[in-house]
Amino acid sequence: MSTKERKERIELLQGTLDLLILRTLRLGPTHGHAIAKAIEFNSDDVLQVEQGSLYPALHRLIKRGWIAAEEGVSENNRRAKFYRLTAKGRRQLAVETGKWDKLAGAIARILRPAEREGEP
Amino acid sequence: MNRRKRMMDDLDQDIREHIERETQDNIERGMAPEEARYAAVRKFGNVMRVKEETREVWSFVWLEQLLQDIQFGLRMLRKSPGFAAVAILTLALGIGANTAIFSLIDAVMLRALPVENPSQLVLLKWSARNAPNIHGYMNSGDCPFTGLKPGAANPSGCSFSEPMFREIEQANVFSATTAFANSGRLSLTGNGPATVINGQLVSGEFFRTLGLKAAAGRLFEAADDKPSATPVAVLNYGYWQSAFGGSLDVVGHTIELNSVPFTVVGVAERRFTGLTPGLDHDVWLPLSDAQRITDPMRWQNRSGDVSNWWLTVVGRLKPGTQVAQAQAAVSGLFRNEVLHGSVPSFRGGEIAPRPGRPVARGAGSDQMFHGAMPPAGGNGPTEMHAPPQPAPDGTVQVREGKTSGPIPPSAGHPPVMAPGTLDNGPRTLSTEADNPLVTLLPAQTGLVGTRGEYADPLYVLMLAVGIILLIACANVAGLMLARAAGRQKEMAVRLALGAGRARVVRQLLTESVMLSVLGGILGILFAYWGTHAIVSFVSSNQPRALGFATGVDLRVLGFTVTISLLTGILFGIAPTLRSARVDLTPALKEGEHSSASSGHAGRTWFSIGNGLVVAQVALAIIVLVGAGLLVRTLQNLRSIDVGFDSHNILIFAIDPTAIGYKGAQVDAFYRDLQGRLSEIPGVKSAGYSMMPLLNNGLMVTMFHWPGTPEDQQSTADVLGVGPNFFETLHIPFLAGRGFNASDFKVAAANSGVIPSSSRTPTLVNQAFVQKYLGKENPLGKQFGEFVGDANRPASSGYEIIGVVRDAKYNSLRRDIQAMMYTPQSGGGASFELRTAADPQAILPAIREVVAQVNTNLPLFDVKTESEQIDRLLFQERLVARLAGFFGLLALVLACVGLYGLLSYEVSRRTREIGIRLALGAQRERVLKLVLGQGIALAIAGAALGIGVALGVMRYLASMLYDVHANDPMTMIGVAVLLTLVAVAACYIPARRAMRVDPIVALRYE
Repeated sequence: MSTKERKERIELLQGTLDLLILRTLRLGPTHGHAIAKAIEFNSDDVLQVEQGSLYPALHRLIKRGWIAAEEGVSENNRRAKFYRLTAKGRRQLAVETGKWDKLAGAIARILRPAEREGEP
Repeated sequence: MNRRKRMMDDLDQDIREHIERETQDNIERGMAPEEARYAAVRKFGNVMRVKEETREVWSFVWLEQLLQDIQFGLRMLRKSPGFAAVAILTLALGIGANTAIFSLIDAVMLRALPVENPSQLVLLKWSARNAPNIHGYMNSGDCPFTGLKPGAANPSGCSFSEPMFREIEQANVFSATTAFANSGRLSLTGNGPATVINGQLVSGEFFRTLGLKAAAGRLFEAADDKPSATPVAVLNYGYWQSAFGGSLDVVGHTIELNSVPFTVVGVAERRFTGLTPGLDHDVWLPLSDAQRITDPMRWQNRSGDVSNWWLTVVGRLKPGTQVAQAQAAVSGLFRNEVLHGSVPSFRGGEIAPRPGRPVARGAGSDQMFHGAMPPAGGNGPTEMHAPPQPAPDGTVQVREGKTSGPIPPSAGHPPVMAPGTLDNGPRTLSTEADNPLVTLLPAQTGLVGTRGEYADPLYVLMLAVGIILLIACANVAGLMLARAAGRQKEMAVRLALGAGRARVVRQLLTESVMLSVLGGILGILFAYWGTHAIVSFVSSNQPRALGFATGVDLRVLGFTVTISLLTGILFGIAPTLRSARVDLTPALKEGEHSSASSGHAGRTWFSIGNGLVVAQVALAIIVLVGAGLLVRTLQNLRSIDVGFDSHNILIFAIDPTAIGYKGAQVDAFYRDLQGRLSEIPGVKSAGYSMMPLLNNGLMVTMFHWPGTPEDQQSTADVLGVGPNFFETLHIPFLAGRGFNASDFKVAAANSGVIPSSSRTPTLVNQAFVQKYLGKENPLGKQFGEFVGDANRPASSGYEIIGVVRDAKYNSLRRDIQAMMYTPQSGGGASFELRTAADPQAILPAIREVVAQVNTNLPLFDVKTESEQIDRLLFQERLVARLAGFFGLLALVLACVGLYGLLSYEVSRRTREIGIRLALGAQRERVLKLVLGQGIALAIAGAALGIGVALGVMRYLASMLYDVHANDPMTMIGVAVLLTLVAVAACYIPARRAMRVDPIVALRYE
């Protein structure tokens, strides 16, 4: 894989990854590994995100104030950093979801015009 | 920051734990422990990059990267010190030259006035469609003055009458108002030997309006500006230092100016050299004392006279007031005065004479030229020391010639009269139809002073150094291209390792900007020396210091930083983009100098390199042609036949009226002095005149020529001369005779109260004969009689008694006009002494002789005629010198560029050359090959340069003399010079090519 391809792939997912993280955290605070697993699982393994790219995304969201981090203890009694959605993040999630829906709908309309015109 | 640190500290641990968990999961899924861990690590991705990206989220990434780039760049430069040294030096020359000229421009044209809050100050300017009926006008050189010639359209100026100023002051339009004017030359005694200084008369509120402080003692207050107040003076800081040694004892000390005692009350602050740029004054005096120090004939009771305009008025706007409001208010006052106030008529002495004295007929005449007040030290346009005698017909108009001389001819722009209208009865100064009004100009731009003189040459020089900077950039760009060709492998590796192209470009640009910043720093040093040298050259040619404070200030520094950055980007762009586009695989595989890699990239580099050299040569040619034209102009001016023998002549000026000589005493004094001076050993002959020739000052007169319509006035240049004038200057007589004793008596009588019935004997020059007499015999011709009317006194006219050869009058450039010489009577004078040997050597003897007659009489404006001519040519000399220097600099830079290109070419093609030689080619052919290439480039550049020069040089036309802007000889000369130097530059690389050892070359990779 050349430098160029890899970069393209990551850039495409950067903004969307943030959205997925926010959505995952809506169900409740959790730690990094669990988030990665959740995304894989909930997408039926379609989205194979490089797990490492999660961390810059998480830090980005912390910097923007949409999520917050705190120390906690995980299921197997190990120390872990737990992330949770803030109020601001909750609002942002709604906004971003709306944008995504709009985008997806528009692309769908272009790809499947027959549904609009109706089959002859 | 803390949050960032905390987050980053935990990151390591977080990542480790993440991988741990994934490993666990994998194990649970059934993988073996090692496999599980391996899968987890691979799934995670590159840990280093994750850490870096996370760090980037928190940091000012660009700043860190910039620092990185800078460090790297420094290391690379240190690795090739030769390249760095040449590049930095070249850039330093280009940037330094620009900074030097810009700092001059800044000092002369841009710097703010040295006062408090200069943006609040406004200058009053009047204008009208026709000249107002004023009978006296004095321009102190603060603003451009169009003159009041009859028929001159839309005159304007910034001098107002004193009553007008007082009215404006009292109307409270401004928060503070002040008025000032030149005092003219003042003879100072009471501090060692008598000297002559410049002064400025100012109103009481002057210093308060400008917001200045005292460096010692106190400054003027309103109370000082009353006729009843004790005369006080404030010293200029610089003058205080040089004349009084900066001693605080000066406060309270009494000095005598024109024999009137003044008490020094203080010294102005250091930064304040004067308000109007380029004019500096040694001392400030209150307006109310003007009368005391001025010859009453000149003074004319100006304080109360509404038709004598002599004060420049400046006001400080009230905070919150719009300029338009204040302007309307002042204009209203002005219009009220000039449209409704009545003007005293001239005859009959309605102008209140000085108590106890009859109004001298000459003095009462409105056509008297009133006090030119030229300041001492040649700052003035003329050497007029006193009113030139009114020509018998009564009209004397004085103007100084606007020449190329840079000596500020500003101060003391001679007053110009409006010849009055012919109707009698009460008149107003102006009429509705003429639309008189006042506009308020920002003082910063309105007070032009001497700025106007320097504008053109400065801009030409700025252009020249701009071109040099471009040459320097092209030069360094060429160097960088050559270097880039050698760094291809490095670039390829970096790109292969994953650096983005943008990052690489940024790093290379950082390198080039660093080079130019270092060049800029060195350039400031060059600029400092350069400016210093220019200023000393200027000062050595002016009687006074330049009057502009030069130095590196913030604006100049800002300019330097900006052009350094721009330069770096400019020459860095092309090589950088080239480097970043490198094709990876071939570059990585081959050696640096292999033909494959250098074939492709090298070939392209070569054509850009060629283009750069051609551009450099073309630009150098442009600068050289300009320089050549300016140098020829200077030569042409120097070799003008001035009409008299200007070698070995010593000139000095003297003004006995300043210490109280009057009337016939003055003439007697001059004769006596002339006699004594002739007897000094080493003096071949002595003469005097109202002003010396070629001194930037001239006088013009008007008269009626017989045979022309009654109301038509003819003009001619005029100069009053003493006995022996023509003999001393070696101006030959072509017909008739010179002045004898009775001629002087007649002239003296005619300039007195009652003109005699005899005509004034006059000598004329050839141009006069040609203009007015044609084939007629000039001797005995009579003209200029005038019976007299309401506005001009009667005059008995002139009679021509001889013809002399043409001679230049006030400037070299001005064509010789019709000129009259009359016997001088009274007024100040300049003596001309022809010496056997070096004029300066007999100066002490002269001072002694003058002192013998009267110890209180200072000599001033002492110089030789040759020095005087040099001063006239000062601007041309400065510009020619600088242009020549820059031209040579451009030539050197261009040839260094050519040399560099060819050297690189030779080293790049060493292998090819080796092959050729091995295959049997003659060495001379190789030499010719390389030489040919270099010369072809030089000629291409020269052709391009001359082509551009043909189109562009005409903008220089106003500065040239007797040489056409597209002068072919200059262009050919420059082209030949360049070709010769280019050949020399090509020769060394060509010889190196010739000496290539084929065996070594073939092995060399």
